[in-house]
Amino acid sequence: MNAGPLMEVRGVRVEYAGRGQVARAVDGVDLELRSGEILALVGESGCGKTTLARTIVGLQRPAAGEVRLRGKPLGYDRRSLREHRRAAQLIFQDPTGALNARHTIYEAVAEGVRIQELPGVEEELVAEALSRAGLRPPESFFTRYPYEISGGQRQRVVIAGAMVLNPQLLVADEPVSSLDASVRGEILALMLRLVRETEVGMLVVTHDLGLAWNVADRVAVMYLGRIVEQGTTEELLTAPRHPYTRALLSVVPEVAEVEQQILSGEAPDPTRIPPGCRFHPRCPLYASGEAARLGIAERCLGEDPLKLPACHAVA
Amino acid sequence: MTAEPLLTVRDLHVTYPTAGSPVPAVRGVDLEVGVGETLGLAGESGCGKSSLAGALLRLLPRGTRVTGEVLLDGEDVLTMKPGRLRAVRWTELAIVFQGALHTLNPVQRVGAQIAEAIRLHSRDVRGAGVGKRVGELLELVGLPARRAHDYPHQLSGGQRQRVLIGLALACDPRLLIADEPTTALDVMVQAQVLRLLEELQEQFGLAVIFITHDLSTLAAVCERLAVMYAGRVVEQGPSRDIFEAPAHPYTRGLAAAFPVIGDTAFRMKPSGLPGDPPDPRRLPSGCPFHPRCPDAVAVCPSTPVELWPAGDRRSAACVHVSGSPVPA
Repeated sequence: MNAGPLMEVRGVRVEYAGRGQVARAVDGVDLELRSGEILALVGESGCGKTTLARTIVGLQRPAAGEVRLRGKPLGYDRRSLREHRRAAQLIFQDPTGALNARHTIYEAVAEGVRIQELPGVEEELVAEALSRAGLRPPESFFTRYPYEISGGQRQRVVIAGAMVLNPQLLVADEPVSSLDASVRGEILALMLRLVRETEVGMLVVTHDLGLAWNVADRVAVMYLGRIVEQGTTEELLTAPRHPYTRALLSVVPEVAEVEQQILSGEAPDPTRIPPGCRFHPRCPLYASGEAARLGIAERCLGEDPLKLPACHAVA
Repeated sequence: MTAEPLLTVRDLHVTYPTAGSPVPAVRGVDLEVGVGETLGLAGESGCGKSSLAGALLRLLPRGTRVTGEVLLDGEDVLTMKPGRLRAVRWTELAIVFQGALHTLNPVQRVGAQIAEAIRLHSRDVRGAGVGKRVGELLELVGLPARRAHDYPHQLSGGQRQRVLIGLALACDPRLLIADEPTTALDVMVQAQVLRLLEELQEQFGLAVIFITHDLSTLAAVCERLAVMYAGRVVEQGPSRDIFEAPAHPYTRGLAAAFPVIGDTAFRMKPSGLPGDPPDPRRLPSGCPFHPRCPDAVAVCPSTPVELWPAGDRRSAACVHVSGSPVPA
C-alpha cells in the first residue's frame, strides 16, 4: 500500500479569457486526497469548484500548478490523458444528460471497456459492474434504454460505467442534486459502500453541507477560486472557524433556531477578485466592525490571507 | 386559524388524458389555507403537487379533467366564468414558478413585463401610476427601481426570482402559490429569497402555499405541512411536529434524506427509501406506498388507506397510526 496521498493538487490556477477580461476561476489551490477517503468540496455556484473538478480529471488544463496521481504529475499529451481518464472518473450531476439516449444500458457501460481495451470478457465485466451498482439482475437491464428506467437507476448506470474501469479516483459533481429526495440516500449509500470496498478515493463537489455530513471524511470550503478552510467533517461542520463557512452553515434550513447570517449578493465575479482578503466585501466580521475592533481591518483590505483558515481574525 | 379559511380545496382530482391510459395525477385532495397562513406542500416529482398548484389557478392544459371544488372565499374557482377568473388571477391568487429564466420574456425589459400585468389586471392603478408601482414593487423585493430597465439576462438567477415574486405581487394578491421557488438557486440566494417571502408575508398578511420536495425548508418556513405521495395527501399537521416525529413512514424517509448536521445519527449513514416513486398509471394496490415501505405489514397491499387521526391536529394515511380502524 502506498503511504503517500492518492491525488495531489499543487498551486493550481485555471483562467478563462473572454471579452478582454481574465476570470481566475481557480486561483491557487492545494488539495490532497488519500485512497479510500471521501473529500467534499463545498461552496456557492461560481466559486470554481466544478472547474477544479474538471482540472483534476484532466478535462481542463491549468494555467499554473499541477495535478498528481500517486505522486506522478499529470501530463497533457494524448497517452497520458487517456491513462489518466481511466484512473480518474468523473460522475456528473445529471445522469440523463450523461447517458446517450440512443444507446442501451449495456452499451453505456461497455463503451469505456472498449475504449480502454480492458482485459476480460466484456459481458461479464458489464454484468458485474451493473450488479455492484445495485442493478440486479444485471441482464434484465442490458437491452433497456435510459428513458425506460428511473432517474436513480440512471445514476446507478453512470456509476457502473465509471466503476467498471477500476478507477483509483472518482470525482462526483453534485451526484444526487437532480434526484428525488427519497432516492438520494440510496445513491449516496452506494457510493459510500463502493469507496469502502474498493479503496478508491472520492472527491464530491457539492453545495449541500448535509451531504458532506452524510458521507465525507473531510471537507474543503472554496470561495472565489481559493480554498478558505478545510478539516475533518466533524471539525469543520460543528466548529467552523472561517466566517464564510459559518455563514454557509447558518443558512442550512433546520428547525432549530440559529441566527442566520445571510450574505448579501451572489458569489462574486472571478474577473474582479477583491484585493486583500477576497471575502471582505461580504464578510459579516468586517461589516459589523468586529474586524476593526480586532485591529485587523487594514489587513483585511490589503493583505491576502494565505494560511488556512484564510481569515486574519482567526489566523 | 380564523373560522373562514381563505382557500378550501375539496376532493380535488386532476387527470391527464393521454394516447394510452389516462394519468391520474391528483386523486382526491382536501386542503385549507387560512388568511395569512403558510401551508407547505411536500412531495417528490410525479406526486401531483404541481398539478394541484396548476388546478388552483386553472392553468392546466386544455383537456385536463379537473373535478372537485376550489373555494376562494366560498366561490368555486373551477366553475368561474372566464371574465371572473381573469379578475381573480393576479388580484386574489398569484403563482411563482421555479426556473425564473423561462418564465420571463427574454426580449422585454423586466419593468415592462411587470407594467403589463398591472395594466391588464389591476383595478386601481392606471396611467402614470403604473411606472411608480413598478418601481415600488422592485424595491419591495429588494431590487433598485432602476433595474426595471434591465432585460432578464442582465440579472442573476436570484434577482430574476425576485422579479418573479414582484410580478406575482403586482396586483396585491391574498394568496401566493410558490412552486419550488428556490430550487434552482444557490444556498445563500435561497436563504435571501426565503427571508423575502417571510417579510412580505408579515407585511401584507399574505397567505402562501409553498411547494417543494425539501422537507427541511418547509419545516423552517411553514406553520402547517401536507405531504403528498402518488396524488394524495398522506400526512398533514403542524410542520415542526411532523418534521420532528413523522407519523407516516414516507414522511420519515423524506425527513431522513435531509440530515441534521452535527447529529451523529446521520453521520456516515445516508438514508433513503428503496425503489422509486410509482408511475401514476400503475399504482400499487392498497396503500400505494407499500412496495417501498420499511414498515409494511400483511394488510397493506390490500387495505385502502385514508387520512386517519394521528395525534394533536395531525392525520396520516397509514394503518400504523393511532386513529387507524385497521388492525395492523
